[in-house]
Amino acid sequence: MTLPDDFSFSQTSLSDYADCPRRFELKYLLEQRYPAPIVAEQLELEHRIEQGARFHHLIHQHQIGIPPDLLTRHLDDDELLAWFALYLRSGLDDLPQVRYPEIALTVPLGDHALTAKFDLIAVDLGERAVIVDWKTGGRVPRADALAGRMQTVVYRYVLAKGGAHLNGGAPIPPERIEMRYWYAQGGESIRLPYSAAEYARDEAELRRLAAEIAARADFPLTEETRRCAFCIYRALCDRGDRAGSLAEWDGEGESDDLSGFTLDIEQIAEIAF
Amino acid sequence: MRLLKKQQLAAKENLDKRVFLEGAAGTGKTTAAIERIKQLIRSGAPAGSILIIVPQATLAAPYHEALKRARVEGAGSVRAATLGGLAVEMLDLFWPLIAEEVGFARPTQRPHFLSLELAQYYMTRFIQPEIERYDLFNSVRIQPNRLYTQILDNLNKAALVGFPHDQIGARLKSAWAGDVEQAAIYDDAQRAADLFRDLCRQYNLLDFSLQVILFVQFLWRREPPRRYLTRRYRHLIVDNIEEDNPAAHDLIADWLPECDSALLIYDREGGFRRFLGADPDDGYRLKALCEVQLELDNDRVMSEEVAAFRYELGRSLGRRVPAEKPNAADARDAIRFADSRYLPQMLDWTADNVRRLIVDEGVSPKEIVILSALLPDALRFALQTRLSERGITSRTHRPSRALREEPAARALIALAKLAHPHWGMPAEKYDTIFALSAAIHDLDLARARLLVETGYKNNQLIPFAQIADPEIQNRVTFELGGRYERLRAWLARYQAGDPQPLDHFFSALFGDVLAQPGFGFHRSPDAAAATANLIDSAREFRQTVSRIEPDLAVAPEYVKMVDQGVIANLYLRDRDPKLRDAVLITPAYAFLMSNMPVDYQFWLNVGSSSWGQRLYQPLTHPYVLSRGWKPGRIWTDADEYATDQEMVYRIVSGLARRCRKRVYIGFSEIGEQGIEQRGAVLTAVQGMLRRLSREAAGV
Ligand code: SF4
Repeated sequence: MTLPDDFSFSQTSLSDYADCPRRFELKYLLEQRYPAPIVAEQLELEHRIEQGARFHHLIHQHQIGIPPDLLTRHLDDDELLAWFALYLRSGLDDLPQVRYPEIALTVPLGDHALTAKFDLIAVDLGERAVIVDWKTGGRVPRADALAGRMQTVVYRYVLAKGGAHLNGGAPIPPERIEMRYWYAQGGESIRLPYSAAEYARDEAELRRLAAEIAARADFPLTEETRRCAFCIYRALCDRGDRAGSLAEWDGEGESDDLSGFTLDIEQIAEIAF
Repeated sequence: MRLLKKQQLAAKENLDKRVFLEGAAGTGKTTAAIERIKQLIRSGAPAGSILIIVPQATLAAPYHEALKRARVEGAGSVRAATLGGLAVEMLDLFWPLIAEEVGFARPTQRPHFLSLELAQYYMTRFIQPEIERYDLFNSVRIQPNRLYTQILDNLNKAALVGFPHDQIGARLKSAWAGDVEQAAIYDDAQRAADLFRDLCRQYNLLDFSLQVILFVQFLWRREPPRRYLTRRYRHLIVDNIEEDNPAAHDLIADWLPECDSALLIYDREGGFRRFLGADPDDGYRLKALCEVQLELDNDRVMSEEVAAFRYELGRSLGRRVPAEKPNAADARDAIRFADSRYLPQMLDWTADNVRRLIVDEGVSPKEIVILSALLPDALRFALQTRLSERGITSRTHRPSRALREEPAARALIALAKLAHPHWGMPAEKYDTIFALSAAIHDLDLARARLLVETGYKNNQLIPFAQIADPEIQNRVTFELGGRYERLRAWLARYQAGDPQPLDHFFSALFGDVLAQPGFGFHRSPDAAAATANLIDSAREFRQTVSRIEPDLAVAPEYVKMVDQGVIANLYLRDRDPKLRDAVLITPAYAFLMSNMPVDYQFWLNVGSSSWGQRLYQPLTHPYVLSRGWKPGRIWTDADEYATDQEMVYRIVSGLARRCRKRVYIGFSEIGEQGIEQRGAVLTAVQGMLRRLSREAAGV
């Protein structure tokens, strides 16, 4: 199946493509829902995802001005409380004052678009901009590994390309952009500066990738079969009948849902009253 | 895109003003709005500062489609929202600010947003016993789900119109001059609404009505939440105001002075969502709040013939139409009319004509829509069968069955019962046969029956090797026996461990067994979609219900509710992208709410009285509970007739306005109930044809 005109790439879809073209096709082109578990320990994964989502939500609430004591009053999860306390102590260190939490930016990419949904962009007008991504998983990768991640590539590029309106109308030069991963479990912060050379390199690579995907007539299955243990489509692809174990999974369990609507009563007007 | 002068005034000019744009469907209002959004972005407005507000999500589809394709940076990320969507988002963020003051029993805990499905569940769990205890609604003969929906609907109307919910019964009774029985029903409706509202306050449950009240009456009136919205969204595009409710109108009226620009769009002939609280008259007051007021009257969709047909049909429906005809075309050229005796003949005629259009005339299937007033399962099934026999792919806005009746979902529920004997809910024998047949590829019902007759004891399946009769093993075959054994062993292994949440059980069973080669769900998109929907429903149920009643055994409660038809009873969303180029079969209402014109329409069964007629809703009343209703006025039969007639006209006129080339009108003398049909649309079409023949003959 070919890419629809109105397709928008995201860091997740590009990562999926890099992992396995067939997964990209099934998930984004055929929109095939396939409700098999990603890992065997579903309950634990669900707990992690929910904790991560609640943490992100708390920070969002804090960033839009709700006092911390009002936010923590109803928290019954000690780990979450500890993360939030650590965030209040060091998560915002050295961040510019103008904050855009939970913001999505879309830029053109070849004949299509590229969307990034940021946890936080902090801007010092005309001076610098910092992208922050909150991580609740335990593992803290090395900086060079993080720098090569699709998320880093996409986020820095999208802000440089499409962030002018956050900077008084002037594009933010790549040298003034920093991507920061902040780890809630230990408070570590990994900072990745950006440069014009990296911007040019990322742009070329992203365009190449988008053009390659757009030109594809078929989407082969990955040859790295170990990836299939952590892929919901493994039964569809005849690639195994057991989900892998959570301990061996290198995903993050954060949702990347860019869809706009939730199902509410107004959408189910067709039911009989 | 070439725009007319007036469209330009809305699209390219007045970008710093509040503009009210009115006109009928098909005059290019939404097109102008889409161009305005692009122009705003080109002039420097961030895409994130533009908000499209629509009454229901489907009405945003033309925006999403056009903006995603637009060659304007960021246009694809412009957000569209409904009042309900904004309310949920804002409450989710700002709940801690208002939790103390809104009178809930557990202000320090998070609220629970209730989907309609969960609201119905809580009705069943807590309100139904009260209904039985006090013998409420004893004269009403409708299914409990419909009863609950109307109780919820009354609460929604009170919230949307802006009156206290304890006035529901009094308002309904004050407009009623008939028997005491109906008045008693209104009293009961009040009582049930009170009970439900108390329940919500006790457990922090936010149904749609409370979401609206807390958003509009609390959050919107406080500085931080209001600023959050008004600073973020500087440019408003509000479409289909006539289909929105007074609460949304109030919000927009309040917001207008604070935004940098706004375009408000009003369809003069809309108002189809009245039964959901839409109030076109109330929406029209927003016009006075806009500095620029524009009207579009040039139709850009209908052919001359279709425009003539719309005009003549209006005349036949007794409308006061302009003396001047819209053009010289003959209305009869816009339609094909078939007069069948029975429904099957009409359906054959429909399917034949659809096939002819696609195969002989090369029409794209997505340019054809088949419409009926309501779309009962039997009608849809009969039509889809006929189309597929002719090689035509079709899609519907609703599935052919409720989720719980999807074969995959039924099989999963039966297998869940097998895997959880401690629930004390053994799977019925027939359900087990059905489940095995659905679960194991190539295992027909006859052989599944053999397996169950011999191998299903005490709610347990026995190993294939232990089936004593070798004849049965041979008939089942060892290959299928092997698959059976794999499934059985998986269930046995599961049983030996700790029970998992039901949605996790479904997911693992699906991935480990049922979706594997040799099993019934392997490479079946329908089974995968039904399983995914069931999992979503079970997860939402678990996550909400277990937080409210931690001691309740959630999984068997869920299964019980599915069996009773309370849960998993809603439609599946049609998301299959392969079906984008397919003939659409849909109720007329849903088509009108999708805002997408087509070349060819088929109107099925125009003799049915369901066209335009209000559904039977003994507990509620969309007009009496509206903002414009004068207290003390009585709702009369004349009102009923007039509103039905008005609705018939609006529907047929709205459909015609969304048709470019031709309308096929299907009619069967004998309806589904075996009764002769003489509905208003049929009468009007026949009257129109007779009159035009007379006029053509100069009589
Ligand atoms: S199962 Fe493996 S081959 Fe199939 S989509 Fe997933 S990663 Fe790709």
